[in-house]
Amino acid sequence: MATQSAPRPRRNFKEPYGLSPRIGWLRDHYFQGLGRAWNNQFTCWTTGTPWDVVYDELAYYIVPETYAFLQTFRSSALQAARPIPLDADFWKWSLPERRAWLIRKVMVDCVPQELLPGDLVAGARFNILVSRAWTKRESARRDRIVGGARGIRKAVKWFHEHGYGNSGATSGHLIPGHARALGIGWQGIHEQIERAYEALPASDKRGSKGAQLRAMKTAATMPRELAARYATLCRGLASEEADPQRKAELTQMAANLERVPWLPARNFWEALQAMWINHMLIMSDENYPGPGVSFGRMDQYLLPYWERSLAEGMDREFGKEIIKCFWVHANTAYDAMISMGGNQGITAGFGQLISLAGLGPDGRDMTNDLTYAILEVVDEMSPILEPKPNVRLHRGTPEALLDKVVEMIASSQGAPFLLNFDERSMAGMLREAKMAGCEHLINESNVHEYASVGCLENTMVGNDRSGTVDNNLNLLKAVELALTGGCDLVPAIDPVTGVKAPIRRDGARTAQTADFTEWKEFWAAYSEQTRAIVARCVDLYERSEAARAEFSPTPYLSCLVGGCIERGLDITRGGAELSFTTIEAVTFATTVDSLLAVKYLVFDAKKATMVELVQALRDNWEGHETLQAWAKFRAPKYGRDDDSADAMARDVMTLWTEETWRHRTRSTGRQFRPGMLSWNYWVGDGYVLAASADGRPKGRFLSNAICPSNGADINGPTANSNSVGKALGGRAPAAGVSNAGGRGAVSGDWQDFVNMLPNGASHTMTFSPALLRDAEHREKFKAFLRGYCENGGTALQVNVLDVETLKDAQKHPEEYRHLLVRVTGYNAYFTSIGRELQDEIIAREMHQQL
Amino acid sequence: MGPTRTATVLNIQRMSTEDGPGLRTTVFLKGCSLQCSWCHNPEAMCMGPQLVWHSSRCIGTRACDIVCPENAITRRDSVVTIDLVRCTSCAKCVEQCPSTAMEILGTVWELDALVAEVAKDRNYFERSGGGVTVSGGEPGLQASFVADFLDRCRALGLGTAVDTAGLISRGALLDLARRSDVVLYDLKEIDSARHACVTGQPNERILGNAIALGELMRSEGWPRALWIRTPLIPGATVTDDNLRGIGAFIAEHLAGVVTRWELCAFNNLAVDKYGRLGLEWPFQGVPLLTEQELRGAENVARSSGVDPGIVVATGRTRVGGES
Repeated sequence: MATQSAPRPRRNFKEPYGLSPRIGWLRDHYFQGLGRAWNNQFTCWTTGTPWDVVYDELAYYIVPETYAFLQTFRSSALQAARPIPLDADFWKWSLPERRAWLIRKVMVDCVPQELLPGDLVAGARFNILVSRAWTKRESARRDRIVGGARGIRKAVKWFHEHGYGNSGATSGHLIPGHARALGIGWQGIHEQIERAYEALPASDKRGSKGAQLRAMKTAATMPRELAARYATLCRGLASEEADPQRKAELTQMAANLERVPWLPARNFWEALQAMWINHMLIMSDENYPGPGVSFGRMDQYLLPYWERSLAEGMDREFGKEIIKCFWVHANTAYDAMISMGGNQGITAGFGQLISLAGLGPDGRDMTNDLTYAILEVVDEMSPILEPKPNVRLHRGTPEALLDKVVEMIASSQGAPFLLNFDERSMAGMLREAKMAGCEHLINESNVHEYASVGCLENTMVGNDRSGTVDNNLNLLKAVELALTGGCDLVPAIDPVTGVKAPIRRDGARTAQTADFTEWKEFWAAYSEQTRAIVARCVDLYERSEAARAEFSPTPYLSCLVGGCIERGLDITRGGAELSFTTIEAVTFATTVDSLLAVKYLVFDAKKATMVELVQALRDNWEGHETLQAWAKFRAPKYGRDDDSADAMARDVMTLWTEETWRHRTRSTGRQFRPGMLSWNYWVGDGYVLAASADGRPKGRFLSNAICPSNGADINGPTANSNSVGKALGGRAPAAGVSNAGGRGAVSGDWQDFVNMLPNGASHTMTFSPALLRDAEHREKFKAFLRGYCENGGTALQVNVLDVETLKDAQKHPEEYRHLLVRVTGYNAYFTSIGRELQDEIIAREMHQQL
Repeated sequence: MGPTRTATVLNIQRMSTEDGPGLRTTVFLKGCSLQCSWCHNPEAMCMGPQLVWHSSRCIGTRACDIVCPENAITRRDSVVTIDLVRCTSCAKCVEQCPSTAMEILGTVWELDALVAEVAKDRNYFERSGGGVTVSGGEPGLQASFVADFLDRCRALGLGTAVDTAGLISRGALLDLARRSDVVLYDLKEIDSARHACVTGQPNERILGNAIALGELMRSEGWPRALWIRTPLIPGATVTDDNLRGIGAFIAEHLAGVVTRWELCAFNNLAVDKYGRLGLEWPFQGVPLLTEQELRGAENVARSSGVDPGIVVATGRTRVGGES
C-alpha cells in the first residue's frame, strides 16, 4: 500500500513534458478513464459449480471501508462470472493444481489479448477474478471458517469497530525474483521445479509437496503460452500495418515474445517485455490488482541489458520510450473496479514500487545511467500514479543525484517519489536478522540489496514475503484500556446499524481508574495492555493466515520467490525463505502524546485526577475545555527534539516492538516483525477510537505513522526529524554527539545506527516552496537531506506547502502552530498573523504557482 | 570555567535558511541599541523579559487576571490588556494559562544548555557550510556571553556567525568577529542625520566599526567572511542616493572583503507583533515593494561601484506588482 500523504486535496500544477506523440497518446488515453473503449476491468470466471466462490475476501480485511460490501462483492462477482470449460480430470487434481490450471486457462484461452496503438510492451488485460476451485466440501468448510457465526469476518469487524485496527492475510507486498526470471527464463525455472519434483521420494510426490510442485510446473508454462498468443497478435498486426516504422516495431515485438519470458532476455527491450508479463501475471495469480507488488532495484538488475542495448545501437530515448510504455501498463492496475469508483475509477495509490540508486557492496554508490533515465521518465511523465519510485539516499549519494532529486521536488508541488535512507534502513534489516535468527540470509555482506515494497516497507528481494500491512494495530487502544482496567472507554458502534455494543472487559485486567497513585503504575498497566492488544492482533491474524494457507494457494507467484521450490511449499504456506508478517503500528505519536499527557495532567502538574480525566474523555472533552487545553498545549509532545518527551517515544517503541518479536504464526511459522506505515487508517480510525488524553476528541485524525501529531512539531523540520530518529533508536552511545572524531566500539545495528523497525516508518513533512525557490536554497534543502541521513528515519515523503494547506491552516489554526512563513532575517508563524495578511500570503503563493 | 553564564534569549530558530550560509540555528537575543522605525522584531528591542497576550490562542479561562499579583491584567469583552508598567514578568499568569495565550518573551538560557541546544542540528550544518547565528536584537549587547558561546560552538566544530547592526563598542565587535566564520553586518542608511532620524542613532560609529572589521579581516583573517545587509524600507532607506552611498562606502573601505551585499525587501508581517506589544507601527498599511522597485534597487546597488556579483536582492514583493 502506498501512503496517502494528506487527507485533504492538493493541487498539482506539474505537467508532463517532452512526450513523443506515441506516449502522449497512451498517457492521454489512460487518463480518459471510463471514456476509454478498452480497459482492464476485472473479468470473472467460474467452474460453474453451485458452491463456487470467485471473490476471496481475505485480502480485503485490511480495507475496513469494504467490510459492509464483502457479501455484495462475493455475489456480484459470481453473478458476472462466465464458465470455464474444465478438463475432464479437473476435480481429481489437488487444489493448487486446479487453481494453477484455471489461472493459466483464463489468461491464455479466455481473456482476449490486445495491444494499444503504438505500444511497445505487450500484455494488456490481467485483472481477473477466477473460481477458487474449491470442492463442495472445501467450500462448505471455508464458508464456516470465514462467514460463520464465529467466523473470521465477524472477528475482523469486531476488531475494527472496537478500535484495535485491522488485520488480514493480504496479497502482493513483496518483490519477486525478477533478476533470476530474466536471467534463466521460465525455462530455467521450469527445469528447477522439475528437478525438485524428481528428487522427491515417491511418498512425497503423492503428497502435498508433489501436488504443489506439479501446480508450479503448470504455472511456469503460463508465461510462455501467453507470450505466444501475444506474438501471434503482433505478427497479425504487423502484416496489416502500412507504416513501415510501426510494422518493424510490431515484427520485433513478435520476435521478442517468441523468445521471452521463456528464454533468458538478451537486451533491454526483451527484458522489459519479459518483466512486464512476469509482473502482471502475479496480479492475475493473486486476483489482486497490484498493491505492493513491487519491482525492487530495477536500475541495478536491468543495467546490463540497458548497457548492452545502448552498445548495440539502441537510441537512449527509444529505451526511455519502452520504459514509458511499461509505466502506462502499470497504471492499468487501477482499472480493476473502474466502473465502480469515483474519479473515473482512478483512485488511491497502489504502490507497484521501484527502488532506485543506493548503496552497493563495500559502501559503493550504485547510481548509474539507468537511474537517471528512469528519473527522467518519472519527471517527463508525472503526474502519473504508477509505478511509484523510491529513491535510496545515503552518506555517499553523489551530488548529481541529489541535485536531480531536489530539482524534481522543486518543480512539482511535492516529491513525485519517496526517499529511503539506507543507513537507518539497513540497521533495521540487520536487527531483523538477529531477532529472527536468519543472519545467514541477511547480513553485512548483502543487506544493501534490500529494497522497498508498496511505498517504504523494507524487505529483502526475491526470497522474502514480509506481509507488510497484514496487521495495522492502533497502539492507542492500549492507553484506552489502561485507563479503564481493560474496557472500552465508550461503546463501540456498528457503522451500518448504529447499534452500540455492550462494554465488557476485553483487555487485560489491570488497575481500576481510581487506583493509580503514581506514574509507574500507569506505565505498568499500559505495558500489560500493549501485550494484550498485540496478542489479540496475532490471534486474529492467525485465523486468516491459516485460512489462506489452506484454501488460497498462489502457485505462479511461488515460482518467483526463493524457498518455495526447494521446500515444495506455496508462498501462502510460508514457503519463502524469509517469511514474516508485519504489524504496522498506527497512532504512534497520539499514543506517546497521550501517555505524556496522562503523566503531566495527573501525576506531574496535577491538573486533574485520573477519574476526572477519564470522565473528560468519556464526555469527548465537552465541558472540559480547560483540561483539554492543558493536554493539547501544555503537556509535552513527541516531535520537538525534547529529549525527555522523545524518551517516552523510545520506551513506547521498545515495548511494542519487543512484544511483536515474541510471536510467530502457528499455521505457517511466519515471524511477526514491527513497522510503521499506517496507510490511511489514521484518518478513518479517528472516528472509531475514543477521545485521547493528548487532547484529541473522537472524530479528529490520529497521528500518521511515525510523524509527530498534527501541529506538535513547533521546533521545525530538523527537530521533527531528530525526534523520529530517536524514536527508532537513534545512534548507539559509542558514537556520542560530543566527539565526532573518536568513534569507539560500535554497538548499533548497522555501524552505530539503531533501528527498531525493520519494515521502516513513514515520515511525511511539508515544506514552504520558498525553501526551494532558487539554487542557493536548493543547496540548503540538500543539506537537510544529508542531515536526515544521519539523524532521521528510514523514509521521507516531502510535500511542498500549497494553497490548500494554507487555507486549511486558516480553518484549523491549532493544527498548524508550527507553520512558518519565512522571509529574510525574520520568520512568523502563519497562524499568529492576522487574517488579512494570511489572505495576502495565500494570494502570493497562488501567484507563484501559476 | 567561570561562574554560570546566562543570556536572555528571545527565540531559537532552527533550520533557519535566511541568516547566513547553509542551514543554521539562529539564536535571537533580547536588547537592541537601535530603534528602527520599521523594526521587524520589536519584541527584541528591550533587554528584559516582556509579557504578551496571543488573542488567537486565548480560550478565556480568566486565570491570568485572577492570578496576577500586580493587577496588571484586565479583561474586557474577551480582550486582555496588559499594563506593562505594573507587570513584573513574574510569569504567574503564564504558568496558569492552559493554552499558552500568555507568553513571556525572553527566556534566560545558561551557556551549557544553549550550546547543547544548538548542537542538536550539527549534522544538518556540516555539509552545507551552515552553523549557528547569533542575532537579535543586538548580540553585541551581551558580548561577553556571546564570545564564550561562540568559542564553545567552535570547539564543537560548528560554524559560527554573528548578525549585528554595529552600534556597539569596537572591542566587543572585534571580540565577536574573531570568533565568527561570518559576520552579517547591517548598513541601513549612509547619511548620519537620516540614520538618526529613522533609527534613533547617528551612524558614525557603525561605519567606523565596519572599517575596523575590514581591517581585522585583512590583518588577522577574521571573520572569514563579511556580509553587508541593507533593509529596503519604503520612504526610508530605499532611495537611489542611499544605495549609491552605501555602495560607495563598501567600494572604498571594504572592497575585496565583503563577499555579499543583501538587499532585504521590506515585509509587513510584523504588524501583529506590534499589536501584541501594544505599540503602534508607523508602517501599518505600507505596501510591499513591487518587483520593479526591488529590481530597480538591485540595479542601483550593482552600479554603485561595488563588484556587481556581490549584490543579492531577497524578500517578498507585492502580488500583481509586476507590469
